Amino acid sequence: MSDHKLDLWKQRDARIRKALAFEPVDRVPFTFLGPAYAPRSQGMPFSTFCTDADAAVNVTLDTLDSLDDVDGINMMVAGLFPVHLTNQWLSRIDIPGRELPDGDIWQVHEEAVMSVADYDMIIDKGWPAFLDYIYPKVHKPDLLAKHNAWMQENYADTGRRYHERGYATLCSMITTIPFEALCGARSMTQFFFDCYRMPAKVKAALDVIQPFYVDLAVQVTNISGIKSCWVGGWRSASAMVSPKIWNEFVFPYFFDLITKLHAQGILCVLHFDQKWDRDLKRFLELPKGSCVFAPDGATNIRLAREVLGNHMPLLGDVPAGLLAAGSPDDVHKYVRELIRDLGPAGLIMNSGCDTPYNTPRANMDAFVAATHEYGTCAH
Amino acid sequence: MQNLNAIQAALANLEEDLALQLVAEAMAAGVSALELLKACQAGMVEVGARFEQQEYFVSDLMMSGEIFKQISAILEPGLKAGGAVSAGKVVIGTVKGDIHDIGKDIVVNMLKSANIDVIDLGVDVAPAKFIDALKNSGATVLGLSGLLTLAFDSMKATISALAEAGMRDTVKVMIGGGPVDATVCRVVGADDWGADAQHAVRIAKGWLEAAHV
Repeated sequence: MSDHKLDLWKQRDARIRKALAFEPVDRVPFTFLGPAYAPRSQGMPFSTFCTDADAAVNVTLDTLDSLDDVDGINMMVAGLFPVHLTNQWLSRIDIPGRELPDGDIWQVHEEAVMSVADYDMIIDKGWPAFLDYIYPKVHKPDLLAKHNAWMQENYADTGRRYHERGYATLCSMITTIPFEALCGARSMTQFFFDCYRMPAKVKAALDVIQPFYVDLAVQVTNISGIKSCWVGGWRSASAMVSPKIWNEFVFPYFFDLITKLHAQGILCVLHFDQKWDRDLKRFLELPKGSCVFAPDGATNIRLAREVLGNHMPLLGDVPAGLLAAGSPDDVHKYVRELIRDLGPAGLIMNSGCDTPYNTPRANMDAFVAATHEYGTCAH
Repeated sequence: MQNLNAIQAALANLEEDLALQLVAEAMAAGVSALELLKACQAGMVEVGARFEQQEYFVSDLMMSGEIFKQISAILEPGLKAGGAVSAGKVVIGTVKGDIHDIGKDIVVNMLKSANIDVIDLGVDVAPAKFIDALKNSGATVLGLSGLLTLAFDSMKATISALAEAGMRDTVKVMIGGGPVDATVCRVVGADDWGADAQHAVRIAKGWLEAAHV
């Protein structure tokens, strides 16, 4: 590792740590998140990105290099991306070069691969037994084997590859609550109906699954040495479900997961898509410093700051639609106003969710440039 | 009348079993399919109002749509025989390249419950298929859905195809889906965008009512 890159990594990592701690920063840090943007911007076919883990890491590093002095990556790319998605949502993924033309983006199938009767399997036989049963329905066996072999051999060392290039790694793995996995396996529509029609059975299954999610997050972050993880919220968002469902099947599981990870010294980045305004105040119940709130542009991020104060730093939230369809001036203005209203302390600049693959380069440059221009602080 | 009020309330309160039971009882008692449909539609209007007041959320819309769908299937033969008149027609689909249908399906159910005929083309729909459906149905409202940002190009292409077919002045276009906002609406050239399903219903109803004035 060159001294220069080592210094850069330390400097950037320290900047992010300060922002997380609401300490003064020399400038608002910028973390990149764009698993699809990276290969597209570097001219790599999506089929290669989806099936070659080393190529996926390298193209992500090249993308970071191509941006103007960004501080790090939000979620470290490691392993085969479609396999991660399937693990997360227990859904089939169509992959470019296989089910889709090479230039297309991967897509998640919304279909029920789990029946109502399968709740009993989870409850009676346990989550690992259920995964053994469901994986053949959703995974591509060759990709799963390839991914697992790569992770076994390379995952523990992947963070170092980013650090050697001078980049901080905010998170090294993704976890979520069981609600999200069942939402994928049953399909969102059927799972929501289940929550109304058979709430006791749903809850019994969630209770069986939950400890596995906690243990997995602890194990994986220990292996990577990067003590922070995404805690994803997509279909469990406040706007998606009734308060009754949210209060019974969503928040208690976030609370349990996050407090247990916090006790292990693991920071949780709440990667929350959709709108969470209704329940923002509930996140004050979590330990201070346990989380970063990372909305996608749908949640009112200013309201989040008002409600959460210095209980939780914010990461975000330039919307995907703006990045893909707006002009550089639109992006510049959004970033300027975000930093003006919410920065500089306790703020990390990031796209809201992923940077879309079809973000024009000029918009990406405007995004980074505006962060540096308005986020730089005089001391 | 009491039964109709109870059906309306059961649907508005998302009481699936009760709503289905009351409809079955009312049918057995000779209440017409049209009257029952109106009671259900009134229940769905209440659902929409609760959604706008943020008492109900997406899962509630989906559950109400599911109940309404079941009841509609039961009432359908009676409605056909009675010659029920709809409030207008909407062609809708998820645009080319995008296979996501949840948001679109919620809008479809809400439009149907607002007494609108819906021609649902499904997912990954090519521009030509939208044009054909509009020509064949005579619908004056087109709904384009997309969850991924790739949908923006497809929405734009569909609206361009509409113009090329000489139908842009006679067909109103609304768009919706996760990343859709005012910027996207402007860029793709749509007439309006829906932030949620209820919003989409309001837009479509407004256009259809204006067309009938």
